[in-house]
Amino acid sequence: MRVHSKPEPELDRTEPLVRVEHLSRQYVQHRPLTRAKFTVEALEDASLTIRRGTTLALIGESGSGKSTLARCLALLEKPSSGAIWFAGENLAERAPKELLLFHRRIQLIFQDPTSALNPHLTAAEIVAEPLEIHKEGTKDWRRHRALELMQQVGLPTGSERKRPCEFSGGQRQRLAIARALALEPELLILDEALSSLDLANQEMLLSLLADLQAVHSLTYLHISHDLRLVSQCADEVAVMNERTIVEQKSTPELFGDPTHPYTRELLAAMPSLESICLERSA
Amino acid sequence: MRYITQRILHATLLLLAISFFSFALLDLAPGDYFDSMRLDPQISRQTLTGIRAKYGLDRPLPIRYAQWLGSLLDGQLGVSLASRGPVAPLLRVRARNTLLLSGTATLFAWLLALPIGIWSATRRKGWADRIFGAATSALMTIPDLVLFLGLLLLAIRTGWFPTGGMRTEAATDLGLWSSAKDLALHLALPACGVALVSLPVLVRHIRAAMIEALEAPFLRAARGHGIPNSRLLFRYALPAASNPLISLLGFSVATMLSVSALAEIVLSWPGLGPLLVESILSRDVYVVVAIVMLSSVFLVAGNLLADLLLFASDPRIRME
Amino acid sequence: MTHKHKLWAALGLLGCFHALVFFAGFFAPYDFAAHNRELAFVPPTHLHFVDAQGKIHARPFVYGQKNDPTNRGLDAIDSAQIYPIHFFSHGSPYQLAGIFPSRSHLFSVDDPGRLFLMGTDAFGRDQFSRFLYGGRISLMAGWIAASLSLLIGILVGTLAGFYGGWMDQILMRGGELFLALPWLYLLFAVRAALPLHIAGWQVFLLLVAVMGLIGWARPARLIRGVVLSAKERNFVLAARGFGGSDVHVIWRHVLPETYGVVLTQMTLLIPQYVLAEVTLSFLGLGVSEPMPSWGTLLASLQQYYVLSSFWWMFLPAVFLIPVFLLYYAAADALQERLASVPL
Repeated sequence: MRVHSKPEPELDRTEPLVRVEHLSRQYVQHRPLTRAKFTVEALEDASLTIRRGTTLALIGESGSGKSTLARCLALLEKPSSGAIWFAGENLAERAPKELLLFHRRIQLIFQDPTSALNPHLTAAEIVAEPLEIHKEGTKDWRRHRALELMQQVGLPTGSERKRPCEFSGGQRQRLAIARALALEPELLILDEALSSLDLANQEMLLSLLADLQAVHSLTYLHISHDLRLVSQCADEVAVMNERTIVEQKSTPELFGDPTHPYTRELLAAMPSLESICLERSA
Repeated sequence: MRYITQRILHATLLLLAISFFSFALLDLAPGDYFDSMRLDPQISRQTLTGIRAKYGLDRPLPIRYAQWLGSLLDGQLGVSLASRGPVAPLLRVRARNTLLLSGTATLFAWLLALPIGIWSATRRKGWADRIFGAATSALMTIPDLVLFLGLLLLAIRTGWFPTGGMRTEAATDLGLWSSAKDLALHLALPACGVALVSLPVLVRHIRAAMIEALEAPFLRAARGHGIPNSRLLFRYALPAASNPLISLLGFSVATMLSVSALAEIVLSWPGLGPLLVESILSRDVYVVVAIVMLSSVFLVAGNLLADLLLFASDPRIRME
Repeated sequence: MTHKHKLWAALGLLGCFHALVFFAGFFAPYDFAAHNRELAFVPPTHLHFVDAQGKIHARPFVYGQKNDPTNRGLDAIDSAQIYPIHFFSHGSPYQLAGIFPSRSHLFSVDDPGRLFLMGTDAFGRDQFSRFLYGGRISLMAGWIAASLSLLIGILVGTLAGFYGGWMDQILMRGGELFLALPWLYLLFAVRAALPLHIAGWQVFLLLVAVMGLIGWARPARLIRGVVLSAKERNFVLAARGFGGSDVHVIWRHVLPETYGVVLTQMTLLIPQYVLAEVTLSFLGLGVSEPMPSWGTLLASLQQYYVLSSFWWMFLPAVFLIPVFLLYYAAADALQERLASVPL
């Protein structure tokens, strides 16, 4: 069930949900004493596409620009140049007020759930906050909806009054996911969201995410450095190196027949991958 | 070098801004020095206007400020309406006395605070630390005013110390040694008072800075190498703690001035404090402005000195 | 004692003291302005349970004063006259908490007996009563001025920290001006800019406004620091990710982070401002007679003969110490409590 303010244009099934074209982001910093400016490149001419209802994994080393890309996509930062197309609309041409609507449709899950949740608020308040910001419904309705969402992600009933510190790491991430779902987004960006969890929790959360994707027709951008994880959950993989995307292919294609030298290096560094590749291609 | 010029420029601008604001602020004050003369039937209004004009009190604010600034560059500081003379000589003596008091008190305070702070830091949770901690906390809860009054009471009751002034009246012919002793006796009470008031905060900060230095990884490594404790303390920890300590020195100058102002008033030490209060009560405007400026000069100079010392001593700042 | 216990103990005692002062009319046997020239500089009245005949009384009592102006010592007591202390008695009228008229006092003594728990001053006014009434002025001045400073500090600190850029520069540079003067000099200077002889409540309000307006710089700096680190937190970013406006983010996420600092600052600023008011009044630059303030109570100590001959005039100074002790203890306990709360 979608809640939009205007009727959807006739969906072109071949049109990807997200199209990032030549995105660049620079920061200008000052040297402390001389105040001389120098620029830091965080993103350089990055391009990728994500099709509706699929999971795109974004892999690369730290410092390759993954998080910057995620934040630009989540509208937390403004790119210096390039374009982001979402559902056929160019975000760069939108006025800030209109971007508010897009905030509902794109959500970001952070790597560290502890820092992403306000330690002073209760779980229910945290999950209901997006609804509060967009002034949806009454206070009671919002609370009700928050409880619903918490149930959906598998949090035990009766935990709505608890503070984040009273939950385990895995549960906190579930809480973050519940909050992200409050506004019924179309795209969910997971920025290393599973990296801080142990294997058992990772498995549980992966299956939860798969369920949610099916139920709500979600599209995922899964940023990770863990190739094993990626091979499990992604439909397509984009490889990021030196602040740009070097390759984007479907998962079996990438693992089976990588083209770019960097991708080959990455895959070569993981010995156990061969068995996985064999598994997938079989 | 750039850093130094930057700091000096910053300090100068700050002082200029303060001078303007204090000038303007005091200008807002209703009434002026010559108000009391208005009541005297023998003085006609024309005379009053004439006197006011003579001191330039009838000109608009920007012009007066500009004139005042001009006289500043001349070495003058405006005119004291009470003494009908220039302000500068009046201030010179008083400023010297205040500096004498603050300087001595700062010395006393640091001479006491450093050993106490360092010792407390090295014997954390030990009996020494607890006792000093309790003592400094107790000292901190005594309001300055109460402490100074208490010292005054002590002087009166025991007669060990003179109860005010800077020198004994009849002591003009004393030899150098005796007059120095006389001065010291007069200085002792106010200086101790100011030092005691500033002591608790100093001890706290010194202790904290030393503890941080003592727990630094590089120090633990040195200890692991078998370097004896005393050498560790003086050659490693103390220099490492010098950054916050120098900043603390700059900061303590500021509070010291405020505290000594009160001490001067209560214990009758002829410094800037009592003069300030007198001038306020008599609305001697230029004197008030001059004293306010002077006190901020001391403060800004103190901080600037601290900044420069830091720059000279801490290589990390030079690297930036 | 755990932090929690320490905190509640300090706050409890402080509360009791403030209640004493708030209901000064009830706890004080006399009005603060009730003077009696013949009874100037009378030492504190002794309370007795056993009279000259060796009889034990159920209630404590005081002896009458011999009406001898030349003799003020212990032998001026007329042990034949006994005035027992009445509790919950009727005395001079006053207004409870400034609103409800009342006549009952916790304890008092029938006329012409006198109960001067802390002696009298040059005008024969009961120092104990004046201490309680004076506490009202001094403490209120401290509280209001501290609140004012903190409010401005919160406003400035939040704006400077959150928005940064030129707003930060201007606000912090402005704050520097206030910090560049030793605070006592600054206080005097601003006081100098005001009319010297104002009467009654106006001078009080003016003083409070002055103190509050000059002391915002340090709290502002501290709060700015908290805001700077808070605005980078991921949960703030997340709120933005939902499209949260600046106002929402500040109100819901950033400001709550400052409450700890604000509370500790409050417990530190109040005694500071109380002391400022006391100092000003002591020097004649604060509230003036007949309004009692702890400062005016101590003002007579500037005269040597008072300080040396009449020891009880020093008592108000001594009683200031436990008040400040309680505030600092509360501040310490609060800081420990806040530091120990798990994030």
